[in-house]
Amino acid sequence: MRAPTGISELDAMLHGGLMRGDVALVVGSAGTGKTTLALQYLVNGATKFNENGLYVTFEQMPSQIYRDAASFGWDIRKLEAEDKLRVVCTSPPVLAQFVESRNPIDPIIAEINAKRIVIDSISHLESFIPASELRSELYRLVNHLKMKDLTSVFTAESHEVFGDQLVVTGVGLSFLVDCIILLRIVEVQSSLKKALTVLKIRGSDHDKQLREFEITSEGIRIGVPFKDLEGLLTGTPRRTTEERFAEAFLKAAGKGK
Amino acid sequence: MNETGLRELSEKLIGTEIKAELLRLFHMNPGILDTVESIARRIGRMAKDVDPEISTLVELGVLRKERFGKLDVVSLNTSKDREVQKKLAALIERGAEG
Repeated sequence: MRAPTGISELDAMLHGGLMRGDVALVVGSAGTGKTTLALQYLVNGATKFNENGLYVTFEQMPSQIYRDAASFGWDIRKLEAEDKLRVVCTSPPVLAQFVESRNPIDPIIAEINAKRIVIDSISHLESFIPASELRSELYRLVNHLKMKDLTSVFTAESHEVFGDQLVVTGVGLSFLVDCIILLRIVEVQSSLKKALTVLKIRGSDHDKQLREFEITSEGIRIGVPFKDLEGLLTGTPRRTTEERFAEAFLKAAGKGK
Repeated sequence: MNETGLRELSEKLIGTEIKAELLRLFHMNPGILDTVESIARRIGRMAKDVDPEISTLVELGVLRKERFGKLDVVSLNTSKDREVQKKLAALIERGAEG
């Protein structure tokens, strides 16, 4: 059973969507579109798949989210009035209460019968939970969400915009979650482009190509895979050997004319 | 509620700058579910100054404060807030007529 994101190309990459009840991690540096992707997943859930959702944000105020969403044509306030979506603005200590038997989040989930949840971003919990307990507390949270049959998306900030070292998160969160979607800024011929790839899905095959994507007036739109380039995840790709050979061959052929 | 009661209500509601900031914050962001400390940070104030103002708004029923574990979590009481807003609107209307 799948929970489609409603972003058709991403759903194709995921072979139908996120696995229902799974926790997916969307990782990327600032400005890559993590919040847009996560919000689009919830809005599509509520409007296309009859799956209501809860958006938990820490730093970003709901008023800012309403405004940004409106620029994509998503009326979050209307969805809230229809009990299809809720935006909760809180802080890590309050979210940490979520795993307690009596907590402030459960009544909201029950009120709208939420099937999807986004926590934007899980990186904020790292500042609140002591490092020695972080992994076990995240494990508790992941399992808590699964027990509630919520299909969850966590966003996480990766501090590296470019570089050849890719650290998804520092606490082994990548082992705890079921799916990882990586968003990355890459430089191609002196232009900055956005790239998306699915790093893993537990228990399912998936598209392993790195695709260019854009944030359009309707949200995220994923394009075709990058061609003839390698080393894209380092942020500074180079042409493939075949491509360099083909160019050298054509040059040589031109000289021979 | 009589005229005097309504006046007292309006004074309690918007009597101070911080209270006005809190009401604005919660009206623009009805999904806030947070501690006094974090709410204070969200309006750029100190918790010691914000705490008594939140208590007044809790007394009026506009805000709700609930204990979860070791935390007091504050949120907007939307139904009570709507009710108070209606009463205030009526007061303003009467003032305009008088």
